[in-house]
Amino acid sequence: MEYILHIAFMLNIYIMLVLSTNVTVMANLLTLCQAAFYGIGAYIGTLFLMQFELPIIIIALCVMGLSGLCSIIITLASVKLKGDYFILATLGFQMVVYTILYNWIDVTNGPFGISGIPALKLLGIWELQGVYAYFAVSLIAVLLMVALFAGLKLSPYGRALRSLRSDEQSLQALGRDVSFLKGSAFFISAAFAGLAGMLYASYASYIDPTSFTLLESLFIVSALFIGGTGNIAGPILGALFVVILPEVLRFIGMPESIAAPLRQIIYGLALVLVMYFRPQGLGGKEIIK
Amino acid sequence: MQFIINGLITGLLYSLLAIGFALVYNTTKVFHIAAAGIYVFAAYMFWWLSGYMPLCLAGGISLLLSMGLNYSIDLLVYQPLKRKKASNNIALVSSIGVMTIIVNLLALFFGNEPKSVSSTFNAVYDVGLFSLSQPQLIQVGCSLVLIIGFIVFFLRSQTGLKIKAISEDELLFAGLGYNSRRIRAFAFLLGGFFIAAASCLNVVEVGMDVNMGMNVLITAIVAMIIGGTGKIEACVLGGLTLGLIQSLVLIHFSTSWQNAITFILLLAFLFIRPQGLAGYKQRTV
Repeated sequence: MEYILHIAFMLNIYIMLVLSTNVTVMANLLTLCQAAFYGIGAYIGTLFLMQFELPIIIIALCVMGLSGLCSIIITLASVKLKGDYFILATLGFQMVVYTILYNWIDVTNGPFGISGIPALKLLGIWELQGVYAYFAVSLIAVLLMVALFAGLKLSPYGRALRSLRSDEQSLQALGRDVSFLKGSAFFISAAFAGLAGMLYASYASYIDPTSFTLLESLFIVSALFIGGTGNIAGPILGALFVVILPEVLRFIGMPESIAAPLRQIIYGLALVLVMYFRPQGLGGKEIIK
Repeated sequence: MQFIINGLITGLLYSLLAIGFALVYNTTKVFHIAAAGIYVFAAYMFWWLSGYMPLCLAGGISLLLSMGLNYSIDLLVYQPLKRKKASNNIALVSSIGVMTIIVNLLALFFGNEPKSVSSTFNAVYDVGLFSLSQPQLIQVGCSLVLIIGFIVFFLRSQTGLKIKAISEDELLFAGLGYNSRRIRAFAFLLGGFFIAAASCLNVVEVGMDVNMGMNVLITAIVAMIIGGTGKIEACVLGGLTLGLIQSLVLIHFSTSWQNAITFILLLAFLFIRPQGLAGYKQRTV
């Protein structure tokens, strides 16, 4: 049971990451730096958990706010740059963040990582113990997020965001502030990735920079595009696929040295095939331009 | 002085890779992330074959195989997508998939642990102010020959002109009756050649592991941007500049900060001078 809950917890983390990536992809802004925000959230969360004794809600809000603030660089890039140049800038951001996490030994303890991260405290009193509690908290976070995004899609703001993908200029001509739209989308996206990072850090009680590499970003993007873009079912399906597949391979009884590359190959193959045969993804709605 | 020389040598290797990437990127507008896969593939083939035959031969075969692989990626992945009129972003995402497949197939067959080509040459020559090791000498020699050869070819030949034309406007190019598919195939073959050459030359000096490709590729793309997009020959300028700056950074900081410097440089260029050092001025970037 604990094992299943552990997988379910990781599934929730990935659902959050993939869903948050979908916010910007919905606006046709493909980013390759989600793992950077995931990492920023994890490290800021760790900092808060180790320094202050605060209830979970306040820590979560602080982490989300600060991760969101870090997305301003990406927003600036998205306003200034188009197409491949913007994607390259997000790649650059990812690499810079990783290098900082790796090298700023005083704060992040560099490649050795930080261990002994204290558990989250509900209302500042009850410590979250065991995988049950974490699963519950992550489930609440995911549900909140799904509800928020479902609302977002129907709201005028969400419609404006989605119309960014079709025609930025006419949106501007209609008096919408495109920079603000992009900025807020990145803020939301980064905030939720940061929240996922904080939950993960406190659950694993150990983090090091290798969890937040460029490959992790590519992995998240792969999950999103396999699952599908533009709606809520798609990203969840994608997260389900990438989290469950390794367990299936393990269940078959494949040794880890073969299973690790093999599952990556399956992800890659799935990505290529899905992009060709069903570019909106398995459960998605919209095709990225 | 030693730093400058080392920097220039790394810069030459970046230039090679950047040329390989730019050939594909300019002609097809595909953000060819799978080039990282080709890079690793070439290195592993080189390492694997060098166990059975002399290094030169192993390098040659590895180059041929990489050219073939690069071309078949175009044939199997990019061209079908193009026929479906898929967007560039879709090609990019597919490219990520292809890269994952290649890298992990290599990991599956050859294992994850770092490897190095056992080289018989490790003499070091002192040339007054600085010293060169034998692998470095080979790197300089080969890459200079390749780069100069390429620039002469690119600026003087018909095919070079056609590649330029196709990067400007593919539709017009085809409309004027030229065979755009042939040029595309040529770009992928030559691109594969340069990527593999950079890889083999690099592996002679340092070791390799399956995940090295992405990092090197992105550095090469940065070199391309710094040099100037739209002009393939400017890659050399960008590569040398980047190599030089990276090695000068080493004087003050440790190696691990190199990446941060590279990408801060990239962001600076993208924001301040997106056309690069020698690129054409574009209205939209």
